[in-house]
Amino acid sequence: MGNCLKISTSDDISLLRGNDSQISGTQPMYHQGEHYQRELYSSTSASTTRTPSSNNRQLSDENQVKIAKRIGLMQYLPIGTYDGSSKKARECVICMAEFCVNEAVRYLPCMHIYHVNCIDDWLLRSLTCPSCLEPVDAALLTSYDST
Amino acid sequence: MSSKSPSERRLHKELMSLIKEPPPGVTIDTESVQQNLSEWKINIKGFEGTLYEGEDFQLLFKFNNKYPFDSPEVTFIGTNIPVHPHVYSNGHICLSILTEDWSPALSVQSVCLSIASMLSSCREKKRPPDNTLYVKTCNKNPKKTKWWYHDDSV
Repeated sequence: MGNCLKISTSDDISLLRGNDSQISGTQPMYHQGEHYQRELYSSTSASTTRTPSSNNRQLSDENQVKIAKRIGLMQYLPIGTYDGSSKKARECVICMAEFCVNEAVRYLPCMHIYHVNCIDDWLLRSLTCPSCLEPVDAALLTSYDST
Repeated sequence: MSSKSPSERRLHKELMSLIKEPPPGVTIDTESVQQNLSEWKINIKGFEGTLYEGEDFQLLFKFNNKYPFDSPEVTFIGTNIPVHPHVYSNGHICLSILTEDWSPALSVQSVCLSIASMLSSCREKKRPPDNTLYVKTCNKNPKKTKWWYHDDSV
């Protein structure tokens, strides 16, 4: 009790959470996200242009499959425009910038909103809401069941 | 503004708010930040009424260019490393929000508060039981450690 023991063998927590970027330092996940966003959101990302990274490592097949699945799932998360209504969050907690009226925001099932670019970058790493830690995929699957 | 990367922009915002409205017992070494925006030294005081009352500690935050998607690397530095069951004598901290439970909604401020609360809830000053072995064998970067979290009580 109370120990912080280091274990030498890897466990499955990272697989479970689908978030292995911290442990193995897999930059490719981030990469794929950039490509994906450039294709899909080139019109909306003018304010947040990214500097392309010089690192062009290839993704492993396994990672590619995982990312493809994630991108598929993310497309079910609705995108809306910020209307400035007072009930909604005023700033995106990821970049800490205030939302502008008519800016594209993505809604998670828990109804937390983020800039599309910001949240998509995060979802490629972890399918959880940054604010409430609600698993995004579980909530989506539940909504499939009920419809 | 446009020349700044998203991570630099966010760090800048956090810095401004930490300077303007620092949480109780937390002060930032602005000199260190002026030299390098990706390494911050932050002083925290042991709260009154806790085992660390009257003690001063220093934390080093290191950010990479993927912050806030990647968690910051946070360690205690300096001569006074708190004696705590989750703090190794080399300054490494066993705290899940610094690795697997990190979320980009967390911030320097919330990490400082978590660490302050971790210290405040301590009932007995002692090092982790595996301190000697860990300190001898660990990577310099605590984020490379595969932490095994199993006690939320302190």
